[in-house]
Amino acid sequence: MEMAGFPILTAILSTTILGLLIIIFIPPEKTKLIKQVSLASATVGLVLCIWLYYAYDHQKGGLQFVERILWVKSLGIYWFNGVDGINLPMMLLTSIVLFTAIWTMWELENRVKEFFALIFLLVAGVYGVFMSMDLFWIFVWYDVSLFPMYPLIAIWGGTRKEYGAMKLTLYLLAGSALILPAIIYLWVAGGAHTFDLFELQRIGFSAFDQKMTFIMLYLGFGILAAVWPFHTWSPVGHVAAPTAVSMIHAGVLMKLGAYGILRIGMTLCPAGAQYWSSLMALLACIGIVYGALVGLAQTDLKYVIGYSSVSHMGVVGLGLATMSVNGINGAVFQMFAHGVMTALFFSSVGYIYDRTHTKIIPELGGLSKTMPIASSFFIVAALAGIGVPLMASFWAELLVFIAAVKVFPVGGIAALVGLIISALFMLRVVQRTFYGEKNPKWEHIPDVSGFLAVPRVILMSIILFFGMFPKIMLDVIQSTVIPFVNRF
Amino acid sequence: MMTDFMLFLPELFFILGAIVFFIFSLRKKADPAAYHKWAVVIGAVGLLVTVAASRQGGMLFFDCYRVDLFSQVFKVLLALGTIWVIFSSGELKGIDPRQHAEYYFLIFVCTLAMMMLVSSVELLTIYVSIELSSYSLYLLVPMRRKADEFVETGIKYFMVGVTASGLMLFGISLLFGMAHTTYIPQLIQTLPGIISQPATIIGLILALSGFFFKLALFPFHIWAPDVYQGSANQVTTYIATASKMAAAAMIIRFTGLSAGASPGMIKLLIVLSILSMTFGNLVALIQKDIKRLLAYSSIAHAGYMLIGILALSDRGYASAIYYAAAYLVMNYSVFMVIMKLADDGHNLQIKELAGLHKRSPLLALTLMLGLFGLAGIPPTAGFMGKFLVFAAALEKGYLFLVIIGMINATISLYYYLIVIKAAYLLKPVNELPAVQVDFWTRCMCVVLVVMTIYLGVFPDQFVLLTEAAAKTLF
Repeated sequence: MEMAGFPILTAILSTTILGLLIIIFIPPEKTKLIKQVSLASATVGLVLCIWLYYAYDHQKGGLQFVERILWVKSLGIYWFNGVDGINLPMMLLTSIVLFTAIWTMWELENRVKEFFALIFLLVAGVYGVFMSMDLFWIFVWYDVSLFPMYPLIAIWGGTRKEYGAMKLTLYLLAGSALILPAIIYLWVAGGAHTFDLFELQRIGFSAFDQKMTFIMLYLGFGILAAVWPFHTWSPVGHVAAPTAVSMIHAGVLMKLGAYGILRIGMTLCPAGAQYWSSLMALLACIGIVYGALVGLAQTDLKYVIGYSSVSHMGVVGLGLATMSVNGINGAVFQMFAHGVMTALFFSSVGYIYDRTHTKIIPELGGLSKTMPIASSFFIVAALAGIGVPLMASFWAELLVFIAAVKVFPVGGIAALVGLIISALFMLRVVQRTFYGEKNPKWEHIPDVSGFLAVPRVILMSIILFFGMFPKIMLDVIQSTVIPFVNRF
Repeated sequence: MMTDFMLFLPELFFILGAIVFFIFSLRKKADPAAYHKWAVVIGAVGLLVTVAASRQGGMLFFDCYRVDLFSQVFKVLLALGTIWVIFSSGELKGIDPRQHAEYYFLIFVCTLAMMMLVSSVELLTIYVSIELSSYSLYLLVPMRRKADEFVETGIKYFMVGVTASGLMLFGISLLFGMAHTTYIPQLIQTLPGIISQPATIIGLILALSGFFFKLALFPFHIWAPDVYQGSANQVTTYIATASKMAAAAMIIRFTGLSAGASPGMIKLLIVLSILSMTFGNLVALIQKDIKRLLAYSSIAHAGYMLIGILALSDRGYASAIYYAAAYLVMNYSVFMVIMKLADDGHNLQIKELAGLHKRSPLLALTLMLGLFGLAGIPPTAGFMGKFLVFAAALEKGYLFLVIIGMINATISLYYYLIVIKAAYLLKPVNELPAVQVDFWTRCMCVVLVVMTIYLGVFPDQFVLLTEAAAKTLF
C-alpha cells in the first residue's frame, strides 16, 4: 500500500458518490433541496479539482497524488489512482462541466431526484476513468459512465428519445465488447498477475500482441470518441438528450474514448499505435471533413452541434495519430477546449429550446435582438468552434495541424480545408439564427436571468482564459507528453 | 461414526424438514399460513446448519460421496436459494391451498437430492440423486391452480426429462463398460487411455447431455421456456435459482473430467457454448412474457458459465462457481419482484411492469440492479462473474470465444433494457395502486441490492473462497 498523504483523488470521486447517496435519501418532492445538494457536492468537486490542478507540480511532471492499494489479490487488481499532465486537464474539465450542467438544469421539474442521482452516477464513472491507472477499474468506471445515459435520455430527452437512447447505449456497449477482451488479453500477455497500467508498461508486449490489442482498443474506444464511421450514435444521441446530459456527454463523455486510446492503447501498445497510425489519421480526416459537410445540411441546432462534435473529435484523433509532441499536446488541449466549448453550445441551445420549444433554425431567426445575452453565449461558442484566435481551441487546433501537415501532408491539408468549411457553416448558422429577420413569435421571451447566466458565463470565461493564457495548460500537458513521446 | 453424521448433517436436516411436511400433508385440514412459518424456520435453520458444516471434509458411503469445500459451497448456495424461494411463498396463490404441504415437502426433498448430487463422485449415485431431484420437479411443475391450462407443460417436462435420464443412463453404462469403474476419481485416471474409443466418446456425450438438460444448455433447452411459463411463479423461481446451482456444480465436475481427456470434446463444448449464448439471447429479444424471457436468458447464461469451465484451470472452475453464485443472487432479485407483483399467481407480462417506479421504487430498484447484473454491467456481481469467466478463458487463448461472449452480452442488454424501460418509463394504461411491500420484503430487497453490489465491488474474499473450492475439485 502506498499513500502519499490525503487521498484527494478518492475524495473527488466520493463527492459524486456521496452526492448520489444523499440524494437517494431525500424525499422526491423536495426538489429544491435535491438541487442544492447536487450543486453543493459538484462545487466541492470543482474546488478540489482546481486545487489539484494548482498543486500539481509540472516542473517535476510524472504521476502525482498516487494512491495504490491491492484490491483483488488473486488477479492483481489495484485501487490505483494518480494524475499526470494528460488526465489532470480532463479532471478539471469534468468538474467544470458537471458544475455548470447542474446549474443549467435548475429549472427541471420532472423526476428531479432520479435525474440528479443518475447524473452523479454518470460523473462518478467519468472521474473514475480519468483517475484510475488500473485497467480493471478503468473498464469498470467506463461502463458505469455509459449505462446511466440510457435512462437519462429515454426519460428526460426530446426528439426521438427512446430510439436515440437505445442506439447510443448499444453502440457504446458494443465498443466495450472489444475493450474488455483487449484488456484481459494484455493482462494475460503480461503474465496474468497485474492490471497495473505502469507495471504492464514495464513488462512490454510483443509486436503482434500490440498490433492486435491496439486495434481492438482503438475501435472500442473510438466508438465513444465518435470516430467516423462509428459516429452515427452521436448526433442522434445529442439531439435526443436533455441539456445537461448533452453537455456532460459531448463535453466529457466523448473525451473518455480519446483518452482511453491515449491512456491504454498508446501507452501499452506504442508499436501497435505506430502500425495503425495511418488508419487513425485517415479515419480522423474523413471525420473532420464529413462532420463539417453533413453539418452544412442540418436545420436542427442540436444536429449542427452534434456534427461539429464529430468534426472536432476528428481533430483530437488526428493529433493522436501524429504521435508527436505537438500533435498529442494539441489533442489533449483540444479535448479540454472542445469539452468546455460544447458544454457552452448545448447550454445556450438548451436555454433557447426551453423557451421557444424549437431548435429548428428557420423557425428561429433574429434572436440577438430579443435575447442578446443568450445569443452572445452561442456566438462565443461558435467562434470557439471555428477556432478564432483568443479562443482555447485555436491553440489546440493550431498545434494539431502543425503536427499533422508535417506527418500526413495530404490528409492534414484536407482536414484543414474541412475545418474552413465548418467555419463557414457555423457562421451561416449564427447568421440565420441570431441575425436576419426577427420572428415575432419570440418577442415576448425574456433574456437569460442573472442567475441562469452564471454557468454560461463561467464556461465562456474559461474558453477565453485558456485562449489568452494557453501556457497554463500546455505546460502541464507537456510535462507528461514529452517523456511519453520519447518512449516511442 | 459421529463424524460421519456431522458430515451428512445438512442433508439429514433437510430430510427432517421433508418428514415434517410429509406429516403435515397427511392432515385433513390445511393451514397454509402456519406451513409457511414452519417452512421459513426450517429453511433458515437449514441454511445455518449448512453454513456451519461448510468447512468440513471427508468421504462417505464407500467413497461414493465426497464432502469438500466445493460441494459445501454449492450446498450453501442451494440452501440459500431454497430459503429465498420459501420466503417468497407467503402468498402462494398460484397453488391450491390443499397442496401447500406437498409443495414444501417436495421443495425440501428436491433440495436434499441436489445436495447429494453436488457431493456425489460416483456415477450411479449421481444418477440416483438426479432422479430424486427430477421426480420432485416433475411433481412441482404441474402443481398449479389452473392445472388443465398448463397440463401440457408438466407432460412435456416429464417426457423430455425421462428421455434425458434414459440417454444419460445409457451413457453411464457405456462408460462403465469401457472403464470398468463408476468412480469419478478412477475414471479420471483411466479416461485418457480409452478416450480414442468411439464408445467412450458416445458414453461421455450421452452422460453429459443429462446434465446439460438440467442446465438447459442448447440444444437441451426446449423444456425451459414452457416450464418457466407454465409453472407457478415460486416453482419457476426454484428451478431458475436453486436447481441451476446443482446443475452448474455437476457440469463443473463432469465437464472438467471429460474435456480434460480429449481436445475434440473441448471443441464440441465450445460450439455448444456459442450456440447456447447466441440462441438464448436472440430468442429472448422477442419475448413478451417475462418468465419466458428469463428462461431464454438462462439458456444464454448456461453458455457463459461453460466458457469459464472450458478453460479447464482452477481459475476457470473458480470463475464458474463465482458466476453461479452471482447468477443466484441476481436471478432471485428479478424473480422476487415478479412474485411480489404477480401475487395472485398469474404470469407477468413485461408491459404490466409499467409505472413500477412509482408503485414501489424499492422493487423497481431491485429489479433494475438484478437485470443490470444479468446483463453484466459493472459494478454488479454479474459483471465480476463475466469478467472472471472471460479472464480464465483468455488465459487459455480463447480470444474468439470471449469476443463472441461480449457481443452476446451486448445483445442481451437490449432485452434487459426493455424490461427496465417498462418499469421506469412506460406509463400504465390504468393507474394502479402502490404495491404493498411488507417489512421483511423490504429487508430482503436491501439485502439483495447490497449483495449484488458488494460481490461486484469487493470480490477479493469471495474469489479466494471459490479458488480454494476449485482446488478441492479433483
